Parts: sequence; C-alpha cells; structure tokens
Amino acid sequence: MKRILPVLVLTLAACGSQPSAQQAQAATLTWAIETQPITLNPQQWAQNKVRLLVFNQFDALLSRGRDGAFEPWLAKSWKVSDDGLTYTFELRDDVTFHDGTKFDAAAVKANLEQFLVPGYNAAVAAIQLAAFDKAEVVSPTTVKVTLKKPDGLFLDFLASPYSGQVSPKSLKSAKNLKFGGLDLVGTGPFILDRYVQGQEIHYHRNPAYKWAPPSAGHQGPAYLSELTYRFLPEAAVRVGALTSGQVQVIEGVPATEVNLIKKDHAFQTALNSGTSFSYYFNTSHAPFDDQRVRQAFREAVNVDAVLASVYQGTATRAWSVVGKASPFYDPSLEHTFGGDTAKANALLDEAGWTRRDSAGFRVKDGKRLTVRSVSSAPFVRDRRDILAQAIQAQVKQTAGIDFQVKIVDQGTAQQALDENQYEIFENSRGDSDVGAALNLILPSKGAINRTRFSDPRVDKWLAQASATADQALRKEIYTRVQRAVVTEKAIVFPIYVPADQLAAQKSVHGLGFDPGSGTPRNAYDVQAGT
Amino acid sequence: MIKRLGTGLAVLWAAATSSYVALLLAPGDTIDILIGNGVDTPEIRAKIVAEWGLDRPEVVQYLSYLWRLLHGDFGRSYQLQRGVGEILATQVGPTLQLTLAAAATGVSLAVIIALATAGRGRWLRGTASAVELVSVSVPPFLIGIVLLSVFSFTFGWFPVSGASGPQALVLPALALGLPIAGVLGQVLRGGLERALEQPFAVTARARGLTERALVARHALRHALIPAVTLAGWFTGTLLGGTVITEALFGRPGLGQVAMQAVTGRDMPVVMAVVLLSAVVYVAISTLLDLAYRAIDPRIGG
Repeated sequence: MKRILPVLVLTLAACGSQPSAQQAQAATLTWAIETQPITLNPQQWAQNKVRLLVFNQFDALLSRGRDGAFEPWLAKSWKVSDDGLTYTFELRDDVTFHDGTKFDAAAVKANLEQFLVPGYNAAVAAIQLAAFDKAEVVSPTTVKVTLKKPDGLFLDFLASPYSGQVSPKSLKSAKNLKFGGLDLVGTGPFILDRYVQGQEIHYHRNPAYKWAPPSAGHQGPAYLSELTYRFLPEAAVRVGALTSGQVQVIEGVPATEVNLIKKDHAFQTALNSGTSFSYYFNTSHAPFDDQRVRQAFREAVNVDAVLASVYQGTATRAWSVVGKASPFYDPSLEHTFGGDTAKANALLDEAGWTRRDSAGFRVKDGKRLTVRSVSSAPFVRDRRDILAQAIQAQVKQTAGIDFQVKIVDQGTAQQALDENQYEIFENSRGDSDVGAALNLILPSKGAINRTRFSDPRVDKWLAQASATADQALRKEIYTRVQRAVVTEKAIVFPIYVPADQLAAQKSVHGLGFDPGSGTPRNAYDVQAGT
Repeated sequence: MIKRLGTGLAVLWAAATSSYVALLLAPGDTIDILIGNGVDTPEIRAKIVAEWGLDRPEVVQYLSYLWRLLHGDFGRSYQLQRGVGEILATQVGPTLQLTLAAAATGVSLAVIIALATAGRGRWLRGTASAVELVSVSVPPFLIGIVLLSVFSFTFGWFPVSGASGPQALVLPALALGLPIAGVLGQVLRGGLERALEQPFAVTARARGLTERALVARHALRHALIPAVTLAGWFTGTLLGGTVITEALFGRPGLGQVAMQAVTGRDMPVVMAVVLLSAVVYVAISTLLDLAYRAIDPRIGG
C-alpha cells in the first residue's frame, strides 16, 4: 500500500490541474494476464496475446468495426486509387501524443518510414511492407501512400498493432527504441507510467482522449483512471486471484476451471481470427507423400471425442485451415472428413501398410508407420501437448499408426524442421486477416511452408487474392484455396479453432473482444462499477 | 587473499567459457532463435546475421565476448531488445529480497525447531522430523500452490502477486524457505545431539549449567559446522528455487528472467545469469571460510 499512496496523491494533484479529468470518476482496475510483453514498442509487436496492451497506449490509423469491416480511427477517411497503388488518408486534426506533440501527416510518414530503417524490423519490412514505395505529406492532415504493387492486406496492416502511431519525437529520443517503454509514447486512451518486468504494467487515463473509433462503446476519456495488468503465468493462480477478489479480471481461463468460474463470475469467450490449430502433413517424404495415408490419419481420429475429453466441451472443432471467425471461412467443408475408422484402415491397406508388427503398429517393407511431430516448448500452449497425447492414443488404437510427439527446446525444433526430420507440423496463427497467414503457410515458397507442398494453382490464387481489396472476390478465391488443400489434396488436418476467454467480477462492465483478431479488447470501454 | 582472488577469477572465467561453449554446442543456431516463431526468409536471415555480427569466426565472437565482459558489458538480449546489464539491474533487487527473506526464514525455523526438539522426547522429535521430511520432499511448486490456496485465496491474509511491500514477500519466502528449514533442521538437531553426548557437555552439566544454556551456549557452536558446510547447497537451492517461486507468485526477479532466457535460448541473458550465480558462489564460499574460523577457532589460517 505504501507505494501506491504517492501515486494516488500525484493523480489527485493532476486531477486538480486538469478539469477535464474531473468529469470522469476515479476508478481503478486490476487485470491478471498470462503473457508478458517482450516489447512495448507497437512496431516490434509479435505476440497476439499482448494486443490488448498495445491499444491501451497507442491508436492505429484504422480500426475494425463490430462486423470486422474497416472504419476510421486516427484517419478520418481514406481513398484508394483505381489501380490500387495510391492510398490517400485524411487525418484527424485534434489528436495529440502523450508527450504533447501534435499528430499529423508528417508523423504518419515518419512511422511508416521507421520500418525501413535497417535492423529495425526486418520481418515487417520484408512481408507486410513489401509493396510499400513511399509516403508523402500533402498537407498537415493529408498523407499519400504509394505502393509498388497492389496489396489487398495493406488496410489490414494499417489497423494492426504495427500501425500504432508513435510520436516521431520519441522515436528519435527513446532510450531503448526496440523495447519501448515509458519514453515511447502514443495517442491512446491510457498513458503508460510503470512497467515492472515479471510483475505488472500500470497505466493511467489520458484525460485529453477524444478520438475513439466509431464502434467503441463511448467517446471521450476512458472510464478507468488507473489500470494495472499483473503477469500471472500460472492459470491456477490467476483463477485463485480472481475468486479471492485480488484482481477483477483475468484472461486465459483453463477449460478445467470454466464451470467453476461461471458460477459466480462473468465469463465470455470468442474465437480467434486467423488459421485454425491444425496438423500440417509433410508431403515431401514417406508416409505422408501418399495422399491415402494423409486421409487415413484424419479418418483415424475422432476429433469430437478428443476435444471433449481434453477441453471439456469448451473447444470449437475446426473444419478448414481458415478459422471459423474469418469472413473467408468455407462452411461447406464441415463434416467432410474425420472419424471413419473403417475408411482409415481401408485406405492404409490400399496404400500397402498391410502388415502389423508385435506392438500392433502397421508395417510396410519392414518399416513401421511412424509419424513424428516436433514442437518447441515455449510455443506449446492451450494443452496442445495433452491433445497430441490423446490423438496419439487414438491413431494407435484405431489404425495402428505410431504417432510420436516430441516437445523440445527451440533450437532442436528448428533443427528438425530444417533437416526435414518431421512428418507433422502443428501450428495456428492469429493474423487478423487470414490471407496474411495463408501467404506464409501455403505457397511453394511460403516462409513457413512446412508441408513442403507445391501447387501452382494455389500459388496463383493466393497472389490474386492478395492483390485485390475486393472482399467478395477474395472470398471466392480463398474458398477455392480451402477446398484444394483440405479436400482435394488433404495436406492439412484442421483440429480446433483457438479461442480467448475473459472472466471478471460481475461488477465489471465493458469487457469484450477485438472484432479483428478475436483477442481481448483494450480497457477503453471497461467500467469497474460498484 | 591474492590466491583466493585468483581462484575466484579462474572460476568466473571457467563459468563464462563453459556456458558459452555449452550454448554453442546446443542444437539449432543463433539465427533460428532470433527468428523464433516468426517469418523466415533468406533475406531476413541475412539482415539478422549482419545486425548481430554472426558472420564472424566463432573464436573472434568468443574473444570479443570475453573482452566485452571485462568491460562490464553483458551485451544485448536477443529476445527483449535491451541491454542485459539493464535487465539484470532491475531484477537483482527483488530476487535478493526474496532469497534473503527465504534464507532468514529457513535458518530461523531450523534453529528454533532444532533447539526446541534436540534431546527431547521421542514424540516431539518424531513429529518434527516428519514435518521436516515432508517439507524437503514435496516439490516447491506444490508448497507454493498450497500456501496460496490457503493463505491467499481462502483467508485472504496475503496478496498473491507483486513485489510491493513486505506482505507480498511472506508466502514466497515461506515456499522457498521451507525445504531449507527441513534439511537444515535435521542436520542441526543431529549435530546438537552429538555435541550433547560429548564429554564437555557432561562437565558443563556437572558445573550446574541448565540444559537450555548448555544447548544455546556450547552445543550450538559444535552443531553449526556441519550446517554451515551445507550453505553451498543452500545457495543453489535458493537460486534454483526462485525460477519456480517467481513465476508462481508473479514476482519480478532473476529466476523468471533466466527461465524466459533459457527457453528462448537468449544467450547473452543466460550467460550473464550464469556469471552472476558464479559470483555469488565465489563470494559465499569466501565468507564461509571466514565463518568457519569464527565458529571454530581451532581451524587456523
């Protein structure tokens, strides 16, 4: 308590000098989160789980409305030229950064150009901004961006955390630019004032804030005057902290605790955007170079039963590589595969895996039907290790497949991938526009193409879909892509759609999920209540 | 003294070098770690190699690493994009608080229990011994969870997280200190009981000294030598235990930094933590030597 007192005193003093802050009541909230940010600089952002922190402190040029469509935020309006190469943005003229400098066209230009500084963010420069040519200041409130080639994902980039606008002054003066921190400031509804690694991050309200996106629950400053996020990586501890009233909100509720939490607390969940959690089959060598074996693996697993036992009915089954929350999801794929044991065995017999060894596994030419999955321990979450064990038991029992699950350190996992010593690659991606994820996973030269599968048609379709902003056309193309990889070629085994959960004291209102990503929203609309 | 300093430096050099070599031999290379789960293309790789100077020969990288260490420069964290020195500086304080509090808790519990039960009836000794055994054999993670459920979630006496204020220190210090109290208590009681059977104890009793005064003034000093020898183990347990305790209680500190760094193979941070632990060991073993002499004047210099 002793340390909190001076902060309160300071806040009171600040309220006295700024009348606008007095209109909103003082309210504080403590929120326990699972994941610590590895950086506070939005331009270096890499963790979907900390999206909620980014948008407390920073605002992007565009936002996504409740239906997922783009809407104005710091940019009042935008125009795209007919050839898709020139974007003209009209900016709000009443926005100031937390350091008092004004947000204008020059700031937008400086933010975009910052990505091109060598060694700053090579990945974004090479992928999201691959098409970026230049940004020009037309007037203080008008900025014109020119692309080298049309890019259907450019607006998505401008609504992502990467587009969180940073004060150009602090981009120059920040002590630790890549890490960010107190001296790297934005225009967001909250101002960062304390970060203790391993413990907590603390914000106070930005009293001048009046530029919330139209779909926000209210306008003007945030309801909360003080906001603390505690880092509690242990799920049982987060739940205990909530039920004992030490925190008001938690995210990441384990499936085993959901029913307990629901009794006395408000609980909500949302499907993430991006790709489903899927097993990708390595088609470059046996046994998954044979499509019949790929299909047999999918038929050998009763996904519903596995999900019910591992996630106690809280998981949503996936039917496509594209997550169910995406506008490009193809529902016609539902119930087209999985759970047919007889078919699995017939397919394997047909593929020549007819004999069995003493352990009951299928054998062909003296080799056991073994498939290996290698995952890196830091990225295993959501009980995916338990899920893999359940699938392992099923495929052994129903079809005689030897599924080996290895969870290793990052270096070993990377080595297995580089040396092609794996048959199954487990992955889900949380990109707000699933096209960005598909561009990495599916094309022959995709940066994380672990299926080593190559289909010129898929390559062509993905390029077409990326070059257009016509959503109807993109949906049509992505439907073709999904049918090709899920049904026709069976290179992927979609399992479940990742989701996020929020649980809170019943007095807390205004919590919700970001319509773009399906992850918890920032705290702008949150009210602590009484 | 100069000889001691020389040995200390040699230990530090060995720690720095062996951790460097170990990480070099581990599977996967540094570029893979820097890319992590991210996007992986040849041009991104080339940019990263240039940025971190990974294209130089390994010997040059090793020597430049030693050279920078000599200047107190621990390098930059691959993961956290900050200077390692800066990261450690902010994290040493909370860990120091936690380990000191845990050590104090462990030692005082051990001394109290040993003094209260040494040479007493079978029941008392048996109970104390059983409790000690439990505290040693139950994993610290479980001790922590049980302490939290009872004293924080149910009674609400102590907050679950944070390094703010002494209240938040109680449960983590207990969780970390209990296993130490368990081992130390048994060793101390054993030592006390052996000392009480020595001829000098009989003499002292014959001079009319009360049992309590005998234990506190004479026997304790004898019992301390085996206990102090355990201090090396004790330091290791404390430093290792912080990894679990800090994550569980949501406390800042070196333990959780080390954990993050090891799983992410953040070499500069791992090596800095190894070096820091080596420094602590060297310092503690030096202090121990001095302590032996104070406790038992027969051990001469």
